[in-house]
This record gives sequence, C-alpha cells and structure tokens, in this order.
Amino acid sequence: MTDHSLHQPDYGTGQKKLGIYLLGFVACSILTLLAFWVVMADTLTHGQIFAVIYGSACLQFVIQLVCFLRLNTLTPQGRTNVMSFVFTLVILVTIIAGSLWIMRNMNYNMMH
Amino acid sequence: MHNEVTVMDEHHHDNDATDVFGFWLYIMTDCILFGSLFATFLVLNYQGMLPSTLKSHINLRVVLLETFLLLASNFTYCLAMLDLYKQKIFRTQVWLGMTFLLGGSFVFIEVREFIQLAAEGFRWDLNGSASSFFTLVGTHGLHVSCGLLWILVMILQLPKLKGSHIANRRMTYLGLFWNFLDIVWIFVFTIVYLLGAM
Repeated sequence: MTDHSLHQPDYGTGQKKLGIYLLGFVACSILTLLAFWVVMADTLTHGQIFAVIYGSACLQFVIQLVCFLRLNTLTPQGRTNVMSFVFTLVILVTIIAGSLWIMRNMNYNMMH
Repeated sequence: MHNEVTVMDEHHHDNDATDVFGFWLYIMTDCILFGSLFATFLVLNYQGMLPSTLKSHINLRVVLLETFLLLASNFTYCLAMLDLYKQKIFRTQVWLGMTFLLGGSFVFIEVREFIQLAAEGFRWDLNGSASSFFTLVGTHGLHVSCGLLWILVMILQLPKLKGSHIANRRMTYLGLFWNFLDIVWIFVFTIVYLLGAM
C-alpha cells in the first residue's frame, strides 16, 4: 500500500508539484493585472491595447494548459490527450474564424 | 495473493485511465459549445450590426475581482489535489472548502452583476448583442455553479472513499472540469469585458 501512494496514477497529466502550480498562479496573476491595467489606464493606442490583451490571453491559455492541466507528450496517454486537444482546436478555429469571415462578407454585401 | 492484488490494481488503473480520457473528451466537446457561443458573441457585437450598449455598463474592477477569485480557486483546488495524493483527507477537504468559497463568491458577484445590468436596462431581451452576452457569460456561470455542487458532493464523499482509487479518479475529473472553467474565463474576460470596455 505504501508503494501505491508513492506512484499515484497521473492519467497522462504529469507529476503534481507545488512549484509548478505556484509558477502558473503567479504568471497568470501578473498577465491578468497587465491586461486590465492596459485597458483601465488607456494610455496606449487601440492597436497596442489589442496586442497586449490578446497576447496576455494567449500566454495565460498556454500557461494554464502546461501548469494546471499538465498537458504533455511524455506518456502515451498524455499524447492522446494532446492529439484530441489539437483536433478540438482545429474545430474551434473553423467555427469561430469561419463564422466571422462569413458574417463579415454578408455584412459587407448588405451594406454596400 | 500479493500478485493478484497488484494485477487487480493495474486493472483499475487501466480502466481509470480510459475513464479519465473519456471525461477529457467531454471537456473537449464543451470547448466546442463555448467556441460556438464566442463566435455568436463576436458576430453580434463587433461587426457593426448594432451599436453595442454593453460598454457603458461594464465595471472592470468587479471583473478583475471575479478573475482573481476564479484563479485563486483554481490554485486551491491544485493544493487539494496535492494533499489527496499524500492521503491527507481532512486537509483535502479544507482546500476543497476554500475552493468552494472562492467559486461561490464568483457566482454571487456575477449574479449581482446580472441583476444590476437588468436594473440599468441592459436586459437579455434588449437585442442580439445583449442576448449573446447573457448566454455566453451565463453558460459559464452555470458551469461554475454545477462545479460548486460537485465540490460539495466531493467534500462529503471523500471520507468514505478514503485511500481508494475511486477518490483519485473523481478528483481528477473535477480538477479537469474546474481548470477548464478558469481557462474559458480567460477568454470571457478578454473578449467580452476588456474588448467591450475599450
């Protein structure tokens, strides 16, 4: 039974370590504060604000995937998780970019 | 005899691994649900179809507070997970309780915000932009509420499941679900609130 508690099944999610969680928490906090500060202070141009908040969101997304969800390609199950995740991303991009693209064209054709 | 137990254990782990993968696939389909809602929101808010009236109602300080509540609850859940692996059931329950309080505050603030928005005249039936806002943010809030109920059930179940592989498996499910909700929130506050307030 002692052996059992030493080797917890991780279901492909990697070893649980406090340091990695702390790192994720601190990094996400800083990025969140940065994004809110940029919008609230409103000193940059619109383009710059866009870049900062999108960059912050994407970075936080990756940090959460790696630090909290512990996506990795180290074990076979980890790789299966990543593969299904990549497939989902493809569908998401199709749905979101596709909708925006189609509706933008419709909007353009109706208004002009 | 000892051999047999090990084989049984291995068998459990294999089954559990398949089950967790199944739950992961559910999370992936939930991503697609949120993706569709985001697409709807973007189309109805940022393509010049209707002037969005959301901007004047957004209070970024409240949203920042909500963001940190959810992020902190995510972190306390991870701490609960660490204590579960050390078989410290009581400490796991305490961290889960913290997670519940943080998540509960998040839902409380969100519901209060919705009530205030409705009072100010930004109601879900105002126009397409308002409907897509309430559907997107509300669906996320509903997921968090379900997660809260699940956390409560988990706190009550843990003493009975102590030391069994079932406890690990169920906590892994709940952890995936809770982390996923925080990830969705990153995009909600960026796309809905930060872009909306610009």
